[in-house]
Amino acid sequence: MTEPGPLTGRNSLAHQVANPAAAASALLPGRAGEEGAAAAARPAPRRTRPQGSARLLSMPSRLVMWGGLSIGLAVFVLFGIVPVAANLVVSFTNYSGLAGSSTSFDGFINYVHLVTSQRPGFVASLVATVIFVVGVTVVQNAIGMMLAHRLQGDSRTAAFLRILAFLPIVLGVTVVGLIWLLLFDPSGGPGTSAFSALGVHSSFFGSSTAALPLVIVVQVWQNLGFTMVVFVGGLKAIPHSVYDAAALDGVTPWRRFRRVTWPLMAPSVTVNVLFAVIGSLTTYNLIYVLTDGAFNTNTLGMLAFNSAFGPSADLGFGAAVTTVLFVVTLLVALPLATALRARERRLLT
Amino acid sequence: MMQLRHARRVSRLSTGALIGLLFLIPLLYVLMISLEPSSQFISNPLRPPTSPAGSNFSQAWQQGDLGPQLVNTVIYAVAAAFVSTALSLLIAFPVARSLVRWSSGIYRAFVVGMCLPLPIIPLFVEAQDLHLFDNRIGYIILHLEVGLPLGVLLLTAFVSSIPRELDEAAWLDGSSYLRYVVSFVVPLAWPSLLITFLYSLLGVWNDIIGPVVFLANPSLFPVTRGIYNFYGSNESEWTLLAAGIIIVSLPVLILFVASQRQLLRSAIGASG
Repeated sequence: MTEPGPLTGRNSLAHQVANPAAAASALLPGRAGEEGAAAAARPAPRRTRPQGSARLLSMPSRLVMWGGLSIGLAVFVLFGIVPVAANLVVSFTNYSGLAGSSTSFDGFINYVHLVTSQRPGFVASLVATVIFVVGVTVVQNAIGMMLAHRLQGDSRTAAFLRILAFLPIVLGVTVVGLIWLLLFDPSGGPGTSAFSALGVHSSFFGSSTAALPLVIVVQVWQNLGFTMVVFVGGLKAIPHSVYDAAALDGVTPWRRFRRVTWPLMAPSVTVNVLFAVIGSLTTYNLIYVLTDGAFNTNTLGMLAFNSAFGPSADLGFGAAVTTVLFVVTLLVALPLATALRARERRLLT
Repeated sequence: MMQLRHARRVSRLSTGALIGLLFLIPLLYVLMISLEPSSQFISNPLRPPTSPAGSNFSQAWQQGDLGPQLVNTVIYAVAAAFVSTALSLLIAFPVARSLVRWSSGIYRAFVVGMCLPLPIIPLFVEAQDLHLFDNRIGYIILHLEVGLPLGVLLLTAFVSSIPRELDEAAWLDGSSYLRYVVSFVVPLAWPSLLITFLYSLLGVWNDIIGPVVFLANPSLFPVTRGIYNFYGSNESEWTLLAAGIIIVSLPVLILFVASQRQLLRSAIGASG
């Protein structure tokens, strides 16, 4: 679920809560939400307007209906669709957003600068992005799976721990980021003390080697609850009879997990992997709070944001980075979604 | 056999405790130092405070200007979430009932919209061109899109499950469109409306990029930017910052405890 795009609100925690369903249904035909799609797509009898049972409505009622629909669609087009197209337009300019500066169309110059390293940091940003995305996806799904396996039960403790794991999503990136900055405060946070007791001395979020791994840890901690809950849903969908059969054969727990549970959970693996990949590719709000892209944590989303709203105030260049990010996201997410769906079909049939 | 069962029980208990600690320790640590006088924090931060003092809270409240910022956050989040949820229903109902042409096309557009990223740079340009930059109404309008696609998808599915005969009967009776939607559909669709509302509310409440990009006047800042700035200007005063974090988190914590059932259920539903 988590989110597409260097976004404003959409990548905030709530996005993680519910987006998965919709994103999944959109990426993968035949999932949650299809019900609605089917209903909406039901061939309406071809009638001259008004459509369907709208003929039962009085003229004022029809106007109200059209009014509400139009306002909603206007918001969607203006703030959901137009920005995506406008990003491309901005990327061809040298727009700075500063009063008094002139703006001109520069063609592909921003993209040329990306490739020719006229502006430093692009290659480092690509490297940071790859490490961040792979790290978050692997760790989040591995730990999320372990948590789900332990917390799938109906006991009160399990229910309480599930809620607890969900808490960071609700607290939001700002609070979560500040909590971790406190924990690893170089002048005496408990994380710092624990590591120096082990003989590891570092400035943590201020260290060019430690910052990126730590940022991955915090990103995982923040979203683990979501991943876990999705896996719990997947585990609960597995019929007990399957386990009974495995128990009769006397297989070890690990083999049972490897041969029975894991393949049968393919749909939730699809959802969680896609959300982790798309989310970590496109969000940067947590990184903004933790390091603001310093110390080798300048992922593509962060680079785009800082190019535009940092001291360089180069919105055109930032938009070009954003375009690259979108293209990368598409090139990664679409084949990945196709492959994961094919895996589901292979394992479940 | 008994022994094996015992061992399993111990391991279950200990992994449970481990998971609890993983999420509780960071939060408990913040709570603990928020109660420490700063002199003690400097000398021995990890010792629990002997005489917990609430002075950090009042000082953070004043110094961080948290009161007005919390008010801003509540205004932004509640207004944006409410309008966004209402618009979702006003789109979803005619679309689910095919009351307008292109209904399935509109639905598909929202499916795609759900996956589209929200690039912040063109949104900033739009905010300036449309005079939405650095004012309350503008900030709210810029956040309406946060929950819209999800709301439309959820509510379209829900409205489709209400028998169509019901609206036809009501309309034949002469009920107006708006009255029917408000007094009949809204009570039925309550769970989906609540999820849409909470989703938008949390999205706006916790946004940190939006306040940095769309606002310049400090009196308009929501509490996320407020506490972030407070960190920037009081970096060494960790006890104050911890108290500020607790203050800022309390409202969402309460909301979360009250609504966790719905939130978790919606996430589980996602795994379908």
